This record gives sequence, structure tokens and C-alpha cells, in this order.
Amino acid sequence: MKTINIIPLALLVLALLAFKSAANDRYIESMQKNMQLVYTAKTIDELQMAVNAFERIGEAEKNKWEPFYYASFGYVMMATREKEAQKKDAYLDLSLKALEKAKAINPGESEITTMEGFVHMMRVTVDPATRGQQYSGLAMQTFGKAIAMNPENPRALSLMAQMQYGTAQFFGASTAEACGTLNKALEKFETFKSDNPLAPTWGKPMAEGMRAQCK
Amino acid sequence: MLLVAGALAAQTKISGMVTDTKGEPIPGANILLLNTYDGTTSGADGKFDFLTSEEVIQVLVVKFIGYKEYRQSLDLTASKLTVHAVLKEEINQLEAVTITAGAFAASDESRRTIFRALDIATTAGATADIAGALNTLPGTQKVGESGRLFVRGGDGNEVRTFIDGMLVLDAYGPAAPNTPSRGRFLPFMFKGTSFSTGGYSAEYGQALSSALVLDSKDEEQSSRTDFGLLSVGADVAHTQAWKNASWAGKIGYTNIRPYFGLINQEVDWEKAPVSIEGSSAYRQRVGKSGMFKVYGNFNHSNFSLHHHDIDDPDVTTLIDINNNFRYLNGSYKTSLNEKWSLRSGLSYTLTQNDVQQDDVRVKEYDEGIHSKVVFDGSLSDKVEIRTGAEVINRDYHAAVDTSSFVPGFHEVIPAAFVEADLYASNKFVTRVGGRVEYNNLLNQLSVDPRISLAYKTGKTGQVSFAYGKFRQSPKNEWLRWDNQLAAEKSDHYILNYQLIENRRTFRVEGYYKTYSHLVKFENGNPFVLNNEGSGYARGVELFYRDNKTIRNADYWISYSFLDTERDYLNTPYAVTPSFASAHNFSVVYKHFVAKLKTQFGATYSFTSGRPYNNPNEDKFNNGRTKSYQDLSVNISYLPKPHLIVYFSCTNLLGRDNIFGFEYSTTQNNEGFYNSRAIRQPAPRFVFLGVFITLSKDKSINQLPSL
Repeated sequence: MKTINIIPLALLVLALLAFKSAANDRYIESMQKNMQLVYTAKTIDELQMAVNAFERIGEAEKNKWEPFYYASFGYVMMATREKEAQKKDAYLDLSLKALEKAKAINPGESEITTMEGFVHMMRVTVDPATRGQQYSGLAMQTFGKAIAMNPENPRALSLMAQMQYGTAQFFGASTAEACGTLNKALEKFETFKSDNPLAPTWGKPMAEGMRAQCK
Repeated sequence: MLLVAGALAAQTKISGMVTDTKGEPIPGANILLLNTYDGTTSGADGKFDFLTSEEVIQVLVVKFIGYKEYRQSLDLTASKLTVHAVLKEEINQLEAVTITAGAFAASDESRRTIFRALDIATTAGATADIAGALNTLPGTQKVGESGRLFVRGGDGNEVRTFIDGMLVLDAYGPAAPNTPSRGRFLPFMFKGTSFSTGGYSAEYGQALSSALVLDSKDEEQSSRTDFGLLSVGADVAHTQAWKNASWAGKIGYTNIRPYFGLINQEVDWEKAPVSIEGSSAYRQRVGKSGMFKVYGNFNHSNFSLHHHDIDDPDVTTLIDINNNFRYLNGSYKTSLNEKWSLRSGLSYTLTQNDVQQDDVRVKEYDEGIHSKVVFDGSLSDKVEIRTGAEVINRDYHAAVDTSSFVPGFHEVIPAAFVEADLYASNKFVTRVGGRVEYNNLLNQLSVDPRISLAYKTGKTGQVSFAYGKFRQSPKNEWLRWDNQLAAEKSDHYILNYQLIENRRTFRVEGYYKTYSHLVKFENGNPFVLNNEGSGYARGVELFYRDNKTIRNADYWISYSFLDTERDYLNTPYAVTPSFASAHNFSVVYKHFVAKLKTQFGATYSFTSGRPYNNPNEDKFNNGRTKSYQDLSVNISYLPKPHLIVYFSCTNLLGRDNIFGFEYSTTQNNEGFYNSRAIRQPAPRFVFLGVFITLSKDKSINQLPSL
């Protein structure tokens, strides 16, 4: 009797697993395609397309943080390409909004906190004279939090190094601390491994570009 | 099997167009089938198409920032579908037009403001005084011997200060006669400042000309200790931050005596001002959206001086002033549900002024309690409502030791207000409201309507209009003699145009204001008062701010033209009052030099001559002083992240500014009234300070609070 019952049950479980993994494959595939797009996009329009795609996936999946994280990243990239101050701020607002959704799903993720710091860092560039004080402090605090969440996160380290370098240079102080953080970041970019095939990989060229300043 | 069947099914091509209600294409909109990955982004022409393998009925969603979401059910059994999605504009508080008539809002949080809280601290000549910095904005008149804000032909007491919505009875510290007083509140405490020169919200009552609304900071994020060493004293402050709360305290000691010993003063001080001051603030987050704040400060100051007789300077009177001030403000803010939020507060002010003039001693006592509850509601994206009630309770008396009669009053003013913001679109808003007040002394009920409109003329420009009726009880010094005096009244009409474009702001404002029920001396007798005074003020003001054209520099230019006359107090007929000047002009310039780690600032102010009354002439208030001119500079140097050296000097060129003349009360032998000029206490005020901050994060310094 038992064997008869188990076989359909096992089949059902197998079918469900297959279905689930097929769905998961589709998720990863779609994400990777759009990640490629957001990493290589050159114009605001291209970035908007990628961001829209992430938002579509995020809306459909509901419990995945990555789509909103990459949408947020896309908006930051749009801000870097925008010249008008008011629009820059609008993109950064949208970036934070998407990031909030990611945070609600996975509050402990160091990458999300790093992105938050990145947004603060970008706020400074809109109007350095009046915002430098407030937002650079905020950015450094946030990167500090992200490093505490995951000391292996190369992006948090490398952005922190940039902030430290800027501060040291401004005050004519030694850049040793900043360069120390940068070296750690470069090291972690080599060793950074994640089980998550959708883990972010950006930031390495930026860190390598900074290496010359630390010689 | 199901999956295979799905893949084999015929695909549907969905194409279409996204436009706004006027038919203009919307590029970049996100088009998606709900709960699927399928969708696309609209092109530059608003057009889109995509393929889907989904079957049966699905919901198509079209989204774009600034518009309401569009939804439509689609039957995907067809192989081709065409959709025209018309998106409706969403009324968004951030994007929508704001009422700017009369208002200068400054905030650290909102990025659309044209005057920032930090500006107050870094304006040269303002000496980190809120009133000093706001004096560089249009609508204000420079009255150098007072230090207070004078707005659009209004007297200094017609500007009222509110902290977190709560009235402050006495916002300025004590000062010797004809010397400027300073504001009691330090600019660094506030995250936002809204300075209104007229037409303000029905929430603010008992203010005839202007409302200065200060929003205190929320909880601090990190702990720190600050030290300040000043040429006129020292202060120490500590901030302790916890997860959802923070506490900050500051103690300051100011002693001008050594400074006055070095630099000759116009005033003959017996004891130059010494004051000790402390303030403390506690903030606690409650639940998800609640914020509880308590702020308190105390100040004790003391000074004495010799007042020289105008006719015979060797005859002097000793004046000794002791002033005690206490202020406590508690407020709680929380959202009640998705639509409604609540603000409530209680404030307490106590001022004791003890003045000894030769043998006569006057003890003044002023105590006020203000309680208030306000509900803010967003009924829909088009209707915002604000309504509340408050009670202002004041107890004032002034005892003279030579007399048993103690003039004073106990005034209780309960009031309620309601106001609605009605958005026709993101471009057009109407604010209508009113305020009802009851006054216990007069046993009278009053209603004051307020209305304002704002319309966006383009992407960056907008026009606003404001009208309102305003009232304020007479000054203590009059009301104490006659408790039956009615409130003084004014009507404001304001028209404003503002253009903000990429870090450049241009503003022009015209206004007309009438005064009625002003306190007047009956037949020139200051002990018999009535409410028969009246007056008007009208003018045009210009403002331009630019922090784009010159790299690392920020400057603004203000000009105000004022034409005003009033028939009040001792004036025999309508005249331009002595605090009013026709032309006020100022330029504020700030330049940051990264190489030197230094910010340089300069402020130039010009005020045309002010009237004064010369009793030797027949015509009242016929005298005119020379123009007032001042060039002030400041330098902030940041050698280390946690160290700031600050230097400032007012009236660098040492111009001998004369604010008016005092006359002897009696004629001399030749039948002439002798006079004496009212001058600046000293040609210049030089200030040097060193500010050190200790914190875990070494990059924090006191710049935001300077």
C-alpha cells in the first residue's frame, strides 16, 4: 500500500522541484541578461530600459532583492550621466526608493547598504560646496556600516577608500589610511566569492584607477 | 506537460503608444504584464511593442514617474493587440507648485529652497545671529540700533518667532538702550527656517507683519563633544546619540568686558554685558513615525551703564539691568494613519527683567504658556487639510518700587484654525483658510480669513498671490496701562514671481499692506491710549541668487523699496516712522578656496536715510539721517577635519553710521532743543573663535553649526 502511495507523491515532488528550478533558471537568466545591459549601457535611455526590466522582474518575483538593487544601481548610473542638478537629484531619489524595496526584502545585505552610501556620495557631487559637509559624513558612516556587515565586501571598502582619500587630500593630511583601505579593497576584489550568481561585480576598474594615486 | 504546452502556444504581439492626457508621447515608460517578466520600455515617440507567450486574460500595467499607474485587462488569445495608454498626471507634493508669496523657506532637507539653514551661520556681518542673516533678504529694513527684524514698514515687535510651531514670547536678548540685541536661539539648532514677510498660514496668529518659523533638528546620529574658544567667552557642548534618541547640551559664557577694555565704546559701561547661557535638547523616536522633542534654555545676563544727559554730559544716570530668561518647549509628532498626522506642543516662556535707574527700580515679569494641537490630513492627492486649536496664555506685570499700582494684564487667547490646499493640477494650487480667536480681556471673538494661490507658468517659473487679515495684541508697555486696547490689525496683499533654474534664483515681489487699530496717544498723552491709529506700507522687492556662474562661489543680491506712513503713538499725523527706510540693498558673497581650505565671505549693506523727529522744526519726523553703509567680512579656516578657526569683522571700513538723533526734553537758553546722535556702539566688532570637535568619526566639525 505504502509504495503505491509514495510513487505519485515522489513524482509530484520531483515535478514541483523541476518547475521551481525552471522558474529559478528563468529568473537568473533574465537577471543576468539585464545586468549585462546595466553594466554596459552608455546612455540614460539604455539605462532606463534596463531599470524598467529590473522593475518588471522585481514586481513579478516580489521576494528577490536583486532586481531592486540593480534598478537602484541603474538610477545611480543615470545620475552620473545627467548634467542638470535637479534631475540628478530626482534620479538619486528614485534610486533610494528602489533600494528601500530591496532593503525590506533583505535588510542584512552589505551590498544594499553600500549602494545607499554610494547615493549619498553622489549627492555631494551635485553641489559640493553646500552639501559636502552633510553628505560626505553620511556616506562614510554608511560605508562603515556596510563594511561591518560584511568585511569582505570590496565595493564598500573601495568607496570608503575614495571618501577617505578625498578628505585626507582636502585637509592636506596623510593618505595612508585611505590607501590602506584601497589595498584591502583590491585584495578583496580578487578573493570575493559569492554563492549568489547574481552578486554584484562592479567597482573593480574604479578601484584600480585609484591605485595610481596611492603610489 | 503544462510548460511544454505553454511554449508551443501562439505568441501575442502587443503594440501601442503611451501619451499624457494632452496626447504628448511619454518616452521611457515601463510597460509590463502583471506578475510576468514580459514587457518593454516606450521609445522616444512613446511607441512600444513586445511579444508574450502568456495566454488567457492578463493585466497590462503602464508606469512612469509623475503619473498615475495605468491598468488594462487584455485577452491574450488574439495574436495582435493595440493599446493606447493615456497616463494621468499624479499630484506630487515634491513636484507640485508651492506657495511662495511672502515666504523664504530654508531647509537642509528640501533641495528646492532658495535659502539654506547653513546660510545663516556663514553670512558675513550676521555674527551667526538668525535675525542678522535674514536681514540680507528682501522685505527687511536695517535698523542697526535695534538688531531686531523689521519687516515691510512694521515695527520690530510685529515679527513673531515660532519654534516647532510654538510661539516664543521674547525672542531677543536684553540690550542697553540704542544698542543691538541678539536672538536668543542659535541657528545650529534648526534644520529648517521659514521666514515669511506676509500672507502666512492661518496656523500662525498674534503676528502682525511677519512669522519666523524655526524647525528644530531631529535626533543626532553620532556622539560628539564641541569646544569653542571665543574672543568674548567660551562654550562647551556635548551630544550623546543612542539608537532612537539623542541628548545635547550646551553651556556658554560670554563676557564682553575684556573686549570693551581694548576697543573704545560709544556706551559708557559701568559693567559691560556678561551672560551665562545653557540649553539642552532631547529627542526620542517613538514607534515607526513618532518624534518626541524637548528643548529648554536659560539665560542670565547682567550689565550697567551711565546714561549721560544730553544737555550736560557730566550729569549721568546709572542704569543697571538684570535679565533672566527661561524657555521650555515640548512637542510630539506622529502619523495617526495613512491620511492623518498629529502635531502637538506645549511651550513655556518666563522673562524677568529687573531695571534699576538711579533710585527707581522696575521689575518686569512676563510669563507665557502656549499649547497647541494640529492635525494634518491628505484627503486625496488633490486635497490637503490642516486644522488645529491652541491657547496662548500670558501673564504680565511691571512693578515700580515707588508706586503701589502695578500695571499688568492676564491675557488668554484660545484660537482655532482650518486651512485647505486644493490642487487643481501640479501647476495650480489654492490655499483657503481662516483663523478664529477669542480674547478674554475684550470678551471678543474675531475671524481672520487667509487665501493664497500659486500657478506654475513654466518648468521653472511660478506666480503666487496671497491675501490675509492679521492681528496682534498691543505691546506689553501699552496693554499694561489699558487692558481694553483692541488688537492691532493689518491686511496683506502680495504678488510674487519666482524663477529657479539650475542653482540660480530670481524673485520679484510687490505688496500692499494696510494697518488699522494701531495704538495711539490721545492728544499726545502716553497714559491715555486708544486704537485710532492707522497706516499703510507698499513696496517692490527683488532677489537674485546664483551659485553657478562663479566656481566655488555663492552670492545673492537683495533690494527692497518701501513706501510707508503711519499715524500712531505720538505722531500728530501720518508720517514715515523712524525705523522705516525707503531703499535697502545688500549683497552677500561667499567663496570657498579649496587650496587654502578657507571660506571667505563678505556682505555689503546699504540703507537709505531714516526719518527722525527734530523738535526744533515744525514738521514732525522731518529729519533724515545719512545713508547707512556697512561692509562686513568673515573667514573660516579648516586646517584639520575637526578644527575650525573663525574670524569676522563688521563695518570693515569703519563708517560712522548714524541711526537717528535723541533730543533733550527741554529747550536751552536760546530756545533750542539740544541733540545727540545715535551711533553704533563701536565702529567695528571683531570676533575670533576656535572650534574643536571630538568624536569617533574625526571628519565631523562644527561647520554646520557655525
